[in-house]
Amino acid sequence: MPVIDVVNLSKAFGPKVVLSKVNLQVEEGESLVVLGGSGSGKTVLLRNIMGLLTPDSGHVAVEGKIIAELSREDLFTVRQSIGMCFQMAALFDSMTVFENVAFGLRRHHKMTEDEIRARVEECLGMVGLKDTDKLKPAELSGGMKRRVGFARAIALKPKILLFDEPTTGLDPVMTDVIGRIILDLKHELGVTSITITHDLKSAFEIGDRIAMLFRGECIACQAPADFKANPHPVIQQFLRGDADGPFLQDPPPPKRNPQEAHA
Amino acid sequence: MVLAVFDKIGAAVLGATDTFGDFAVLAGRAFIAIFKRPFDGKNLLNQFNSVGVNSIPVVVLTSLAVSMVFAVQLAFGFRQFQAEGLASQVEGLAVMRELAPVITGLMLSGRIGSAMAAELGTMQVTEQIDALECLATDPIQYLFVPRLLASMLVVPLLTIVSVYIGFWGGYLILVGVEGQSAYVYGHEFYKLLAFRDLRIAIYKGLVFGMIIALVGCWKGYRTEGGAEGVGNAPTSSVVTSSLWILISDFFLTKLLLV
Repeated sequence: MPVIDVVNLSKAFGPKVVLSKVNLQVEEGESLVVLGGSGSGKTVLLRNIMGLLTPDSGHVAVEGKIIAELSREDLFTVRQSIGMCFQMAALFDSMTVFENVAFGLRRHHKMTEDEIRARVEECLGMVGLKDTDKLKPAELSGGMKRRVGFARAIALKPKILLFDEPTTGLDPVMTDVIGRIILDLKHELGVTSITITHDLKSAFEIGDRIAMLFRGECIACQAPADFKANPHPVIQQFLRGDADGPFLQDPPPPKRNPQEAHA
Repeated sequence: MVLAVFDKIGAAVLGATDTFGDFAVLAGRAFIAIFKRPFDGKNLLNQFNSVGVNSIPVVVLTSLAVSMVFAVQLAFGFRQFQAEGLASQVEGLAVMRELAPVITGLMLSGRIGSAMAAELGTMQVTEQIDALECLATDPIQYLFVPRLLASMLVVPLLTIVSVYIGFWGGYLILVGVEGQSAYVYGHEFYKLLAFRDLRIAIYKGLVFGMIIALVGCWKGYRTEGGAEGVGNAPTSSVVTSSLWILISDFFLTKLLLV
């Protein structure tokens, strides 16, 4: 039985259909990477998995439990087994790094302060951020915030990790660092994960399978090598990073000769 | 043409019902969440500090100013009828029954209600409230309950502070400026008052505190639209809670004076 089972998931906001009959299954310990253009419904997919949104039709099941049918209490129990890393980290800005990472532990575990401190230090160590525990989120760089977000997500030892565009807006070096941390977490914790990213390099490193959302539909979900070889014109255009092709709804501006552009 | 008018009226009624229903559901969830575990004592103490201790200067200054102005008006008015002695009695009645609770409520809706709306609004647009949900924490319990409890306890207490300051505001004018006897003022201020009046003032403070916290948290929780939304939430919170404070003041007065 898949750990995460997305079945015929559809979601629309007013007239705009964001997801249309999406089917995805993620097995235990597997790492799925979801690619897609901006507005293709990737984040909406994660928010449905977390139960932050309710599907219009279809359902999401986590470990066999249909998320939309759970009571608030049962939903919170399921959420304790899922770690969510937000695109912009979503750290609690009134708290220090330590308090952010310790938040879930204090709410859900009867641990002593020493045990909490040890676990927070362990989590911060895993993301390479020791000795930052007294800092406030405003004092951190974008990459550091994401990593604190990772530490907060793994503090409760979740079985599932969801990463929402963890590298967006970061420089290439920090993007690589984040990619390595996700790989480390995958190997050290053995968690099932879904990663949404635009960064193809990390996508092929992280993913056991790669899915692609296009205009609300899942047009591919396969192993990295097969995905690269997929002849679908949208996938090939996405992999090339070319503006010309069926990917964009509105035609892109005409391509200029580089010499002409610099003149 | 006529259909369009009915259409607009219908849409407005539906919109208002929807908004009120949303507020009622969230308020109900907040009251239920008071009795749920875990109880976050540290968070509650922080709210007592920001809602209560930090509001004392504002309440003291506004209560002093309003009670002094009211005393000036009373002294002037009663002088027309050679009934200056009544000024301190009416001052006491007005401060205890109306001025202290309403001024405290209105000032705190501006100070703490707007702060709650801005804080929760920022948390909403920066996904911090979603992060709470993902960390298996009910935002209503974590964010609404401490603010609601702190407000419901602190606003009545600050109302009592306001009554005390109101006494001294009237004293400054009626004794210090108008030359009434300090002994007579101290006696007359309480002459028309009964314990019931203090109880009414405390009840009003309790209801106003509830309105301030629930409206502030609700407006913040429902913030959308980024910076513009965060900017609008406190304004909307102050206007709505002030309006409800004044409306509920009328009904509470009618109800509790019977």
